[in-house]
Amino acid sequence: MAEITLVEAITQALAYEMKVDPNVIVLGEDIAKNGGVFRATVGLLDKFGPERVRDTPLAESMIGGLAIGMAIAGLKPVAEFQFMGFIYPALDQIINHAARIRNRTRGRMSCPAVFRAPYGCGIRAPEHHSESTEALFAHIPGLRVVMPSSPARAYGLLLASIRDPDPVVFLEPSRLYRWAKQEVRDDGKALPLDVCFTLRVGTDVTLVTWGSLVKETLAAAEMLAKEGISAEVIDVATIKPLDIETILASVEKTGRCVIVHEGARTGGVGADISAQLAERGLMFLKAPVQRVTGYDTIVPYARLEKFYLPSEKHIISAVQQIMEFA
Amino acid sequence: MSVFHLPDLGEGLAEAEIHEWYVKEGDTVTVDQPLVSMETAKAVVDVPAPHAGKIVKLYGKKGDIIQTHAPLIEFEGSASVQKDKGTVVGNLEESSAVLDEGDMIIGAAKKTANTVKAMPAVRALAKQLNVDLTAVTPSGPQGQITVDDVKKLAGQHAPKLGNVEALHGVRRFMAIAMQKSHQEVVPVTIIDDAVENPASQEKDFTVCMLQALVAAIHAEPALNAWYDGKNMERCIHQEVNIGLAMDTPEGLFVPVLKNVEKKTPTELRTEIDALKKSVRARTVAPSELQGATITLSNFGTIAGRYSNPIIVPPTVAILGCGKVREEVVAREGKMEIRKVAPLSLTFDHRAVTGGEATRFLAAIIKYLEEA
Amino acid sequence: MKIVAQFEIPYFQFLNEDSQVVGDLPNFAKDPANLLRLYRLMVLSRVLDAKAIALQRTGKMGTYPSTRGQEAVFIGMGDAMLPDDIFVPYYREIPTLMQRGVKASDLLLYWGGDERGNYFADPKKNLPFAVPIGSQALHAVGIATALKIRHQKNAVIAVCGDGATSQGDFYEAMNVAGVWKLPVVFVVSNNQWAISVPRSAQTAAKTIAQKAIAAGFSGEQVDGNDVIAVRERIAQAAEKARSQQEPTLVEVLCYRQSDHTTADDASRYEQKGIREEEWKKEPIARLRRYLESIKAWSPEQEEALQTECTNEVVKIVAEYEGVVPDEPTAMFDHLYATLPDIYADQYEMLKNIGGTNG
Repeated sequence: MAEITLVEAITQALAYEMKVDPNVIVLGEDIAKNGGVFRATVGLLDKFGPERVRDTPLAESMIGGLAIGMAIAGLKPVAEFQFMGFIYPALDQIINHAARIRNRTRGRMSCPAVFRAPYGCGIRAPEHHSESTEALFAHIPGLRVVMPSSPARAYGLLLASIRDPDPVVFLEPSRLYRWAKQEVRDDGKALPLDVCFTLRVGTDVTLVTWGSLVKETLAAAEMLAKEGISAEVIDVATIKPLDIETILASVEKTGRCVIVHEGARTGGVGADISAQLAERGLMFLKAPVQRVTGYDTIVPYARLEKFYLPSEKHIISAVQQIMEFA
Repeated sequence: MSVFHLPDLGEGLAEAEIHEWYVKEGDTVTVDQPLVSMETAKAVVDVPAPHAGKIVKLYGKKGDIIQTHAPLIEFEGSASVQKDKGTVVGNLEESSAVLDEGDMIIGAAKKTANTVKAMPAVRALAKQLNVDLTAVTPSGPQGQITVDDVKKLAGQHAPKLGNVEALHGVRRFMAIAMQKSHQEVVPVTIIDDAVENPASQEKDFTVCMLQALVAAIHAEPALNAWYDGKNMERCIHQEVNIGLAMDTPEGLFVPVLKNVEKKTPTELRTEIDALKKSVRARTVAPSELQGATITLSNFGTIAGRYSNPIIVPPTVAILGCGKVREEVVAREGKMEIRKVAPLSLTFDHRAVTGGEATRFLAAIIKYLEEA
Repeated sequence: MKIVAQFEIPYFQFLNEDSQVVGDLPNFAKDPANLLRLYRLMVLSRVLDAKAIALQRTGKMGTYPSTRGQEAVFIGMGDAMLPDDIFVPYYREIPTLMQRGVKASDLLLYWGGDERGNYFADPKKNLPFAVPIGSQALHAVGIATALKIRHQKNAVIAVCGDGATSQGDFYEAMNVAGVWKLPVVFVVSNNQWAISVPRSAQTAAKTIAQKAIAAGFSGEQVDGNDVIAVRERIAQAAEKARSQQEPTLVEVLCYRQSDHTTADDASRYEQKGIREEEWKKEPIARLRRYLESIKAWSPEQEEALQTECTNEVVKIVAEYEGVVPDEPTAMFDHLYATLPDIYADQYEMLKNIGGTNG
C-alpha cells in the first residue's frame, strides 16, 4: 500500500466516494482538466467524466449557490473554493441557505453539501491566500466545520463529511498538503465526526490544536518530553460541533491546557474552548488556560509571514509558564 | 520523458520530410546540437536539439513526412519538463517524512487516576496551609473540596494548643498598630546607659524620664514630630505630648500626657496616677489615648534591660527604659557601684538622622546624670 | 411580433497581423514619435517580465503573473489615460502602473511579499492590485460616483480578465454604472484563459463586450495585439466617460503567452501549438515590422533599445533587491489609525520574540 500525502488522501477519498455513490459531484474553478490548483482533484475527470467533475465559471457565490441547489435536489456536491480567502463571496449562500434550509423547512429539505477550501498561511503565497478564519463558520448554527491534519484523517474525515446529511465546511491545511506521507488504506472507512482525536497521551499538560499546527504541537510535545514534561496532544478535527468532553477529560487529568491555533486571537475558536473550560473544568485547573495563536493582524505578505505563525518555541514557552503556577 | 514536436520551420509550413538523421536512439545530445535535417517546400533545414538529453525514440525514418507540431523526437530525463509544482501560488514544502502517529485514540485517552475537584482558590489555600488535597474529604455540592474542608484538615493536624480566638479590642488594636509600624517605619535603635548621679536625691523616676525627654526635645526637636510617609511630609510639634506605655490585663494602653513641657513634676505625677487609674478602670477617654508626639516605655519596671521598642506612627521616636540596676562602673580608673538605667531609643530613620537621634540620646543621658 | 431591441458589437483593428494598416489610422498614430514611445514601453515591459520570471525561479521573488504577449493591452491602456484619471487594476498591469509613475521596484516588492510595494508615491490615482477576482469593479464604480458628485471631469479605468466577467461583482458594477451613468471604462483583458478554464467555458455569450448591452451601455471588441487600436479605443471611451458621463465596456482580445502565474503549469491544459499559433499575432513584432516599413526603425536601433532596456531592468532589480526587510511589528503599524491599547502586549511580544518565530 502506498504512502500518500494529505492532498493525495483528499483525491483518494473523492475518488472512492464518487465510485460508490453516483450522486457525488465535484465542482469548482480549475478542478477538472487542471485537477485543481493543488491537484486535489487530479484524475477525477478522466475517471468520472465532465458531468460529475465540473469546471465552473469564475464566481464563488455561484459555486456556493449551485452546490446548495444540487444538494436540495438530492445530489451530494463537493464544491471547491480555490482558497479560503475566496470563500467570502459565498458566505451569503452558506450562512443564509446551506446552514438553515433543514431548519426552515422543518426537515423537508436539507443540504448535504461539502464546501472544501485550502486554508492557512506558510506557503509564501500572495495576499488573500493565507486565511484561517474558521471561527466565522464555527459561529454559524447549522454548519459543521471539519479540519484534517494528516493524510489518514483527511481521508477518513472527508468521507464522513461527504456522507453527512448536513453541510460541512471542510478546511484543508495547504501548508501540510505535501508535508509528510502516511499509509492510508483506500477502504472507504470514514472517521467519526464531532469527536476529537487524542494523538499523544500525557499527564502534565493538554495541548489542544487542529489543522496545520498539529505538526508544530506534536513537535513541541516531543521537545517538552525531553524536559520531563509529559504533554497530551488533542486534535480537535471537528471544530464545530466541538467535542468538549474529550478536552475536559484530558484537562481533568492534567490540570493544564494550552490551545494552539493559527487564526487571529480575538474571537478565535480557542476563546470558545477556553470559556467552556472555565465553565466546566475550573475545578481541575492548576493554572490559567493559555492560547497560542496568530496575532490580531492581517496575515502579512510573504516576507513577514514567518513572524506570524506560532512556532514550537511559542508553544513550549506557554507550557513552561504554567507548569509552576500553583 | 518529453516529446519534442516538429517546430514550424518557416512561415506556417504544414509539414516537412525527414531528409537525414544525425542522431540515433540511445544517443546523448547537447543543447543546439543538430539532430536532423528536414526538407521543406522551401529549403533543407537543420533542426537543433532544444535541450540536452538522451534520445529515446525517433518518430520516423528518412523520407517520412512529419506534420508541423507532430512528435519528432522523444527525450529521456529532460530538463525542459517542468515538474508539476502542484500549486498556482507560493510554494508547498515537501519532505520525505513518513508520518508515524502511533495509536490515534478517538476521543479521550483513558482516565488514569481520580482527580481531586477543587477551585483554584481552594488549591491555593491548600498549598498555603500545606494540606494534601488527596487526603481531604470533599463536601461541596459537585463533589468538590471546599475552603472549609481544607481548613478542617489543616486544623486536625495542628497541635492542640487550645481554642482559637479572634483578637478584639486593645489586643486587636495593638496587632494592627504593630503591623502597620512594621510595614512603614524604618527603625534604628540606639542603646546606651545613664549612670545615676550618686549625689542625687530620691526622685520620681518616671517623671524624671519625662523631663529628660522634654530637655532632649529642646536639644533635638526633630524627634518630637509626626511623619507622613505617603506624602513625605513631617510636622515638628511645639507641644510635647508623651505617650506613656501602660500594661494592663487587657493589654497595652498608651495614654498621653499632654503638654509635658508646661507641667511641674507634681502635676505630672498627679496626671500619671489619674491616667493609670482610669486605664485600669477602663474609663480612659479616647482623646486621652491620642495625640502623642513621642512615646516612653518603662518596661524595666517589670523586667528587661535593652530592647528595640516599636515606634507608633505617626511619631518618629520612642524611648525605652529597662530595669535600673546597680552595676560596677569605671570612674577615673576606680571601680564604683552606681545605679545604671539602660536606655533604648528607636527612631524612624525616614524622618530623623543618626546625628539628631544620638544628640537626642546624649541630652537624655545628660539630664538623667545631672538630675 | 416586433423587435424591441437589437445590439451590435463593433470590432476595432488598425494594424493587422501582417503589420498593415487597415482603415484610417487614428491621428496620434500618424506621428511615428507616438508609436516609438509605445514601442519602447512594450519592449521594456517584456524585458522586465522575463527578468521577473527569472527572479521567481531563483527564489528572489514570490509567485508572479507574467505579461508576456499582452504588452499592447497594458501599454496602450496606460497611454490612453490622463494623469488625473483613476486606474483600478486587477493584478497583471505592472506595465500600466509604471507608465502612471509607480516605481517598478515597488511592484516587484509587492510580488516579493512586502506590503510596502502597495504604497505608491502617488497615493490616490492608482488602486493597488486586487486579488479577489472582480471585486475591484465595484470599487471602480464607487470612485466614479465620487468623481461625479464632485463634478470632476475624469474617467475611471477598471480592468479585469475574462474570468472575472463571470463574477457577480462584475455584473453588479456594470449595472450600477449604466443606471447611474458613471464615468467608467470597463476594460476586459480577454487573454482567453482563467487559469485553466478557457474563454469558451467561461460564458456562452459570443462576446464579453455584449454584456454591456444588458447593463444599458455600449461594448466593443478591440484587437489586443494592436497597440494602436487599444490606445485609440480606450482613449475614446475615457473621453466619452469624462465628457458624457457614459460608461463603456472595451473587450481587448489577446493571448496569454505564459502560465497563469509562475506556479501554474499551462502544459497541463493548454493544447500544444496554440501558443505558437497565437504568437504570430504578438504585438511587439507587429509594431516593429510596421515601424520598419515606414522607415522609422532599424535593426541598429532595436539592438540599442534592447541594451537600454536590459540596463534599466538591471537598475530596477538592484533597487528591488536593495530594500531592507520591514520590522515584524509592521504587521500592527497600519492595522488602525491608532493601535488600540488592548493590542499592546501582542505588539510587545512580536517585538521581543517575533524574531524567533519560524
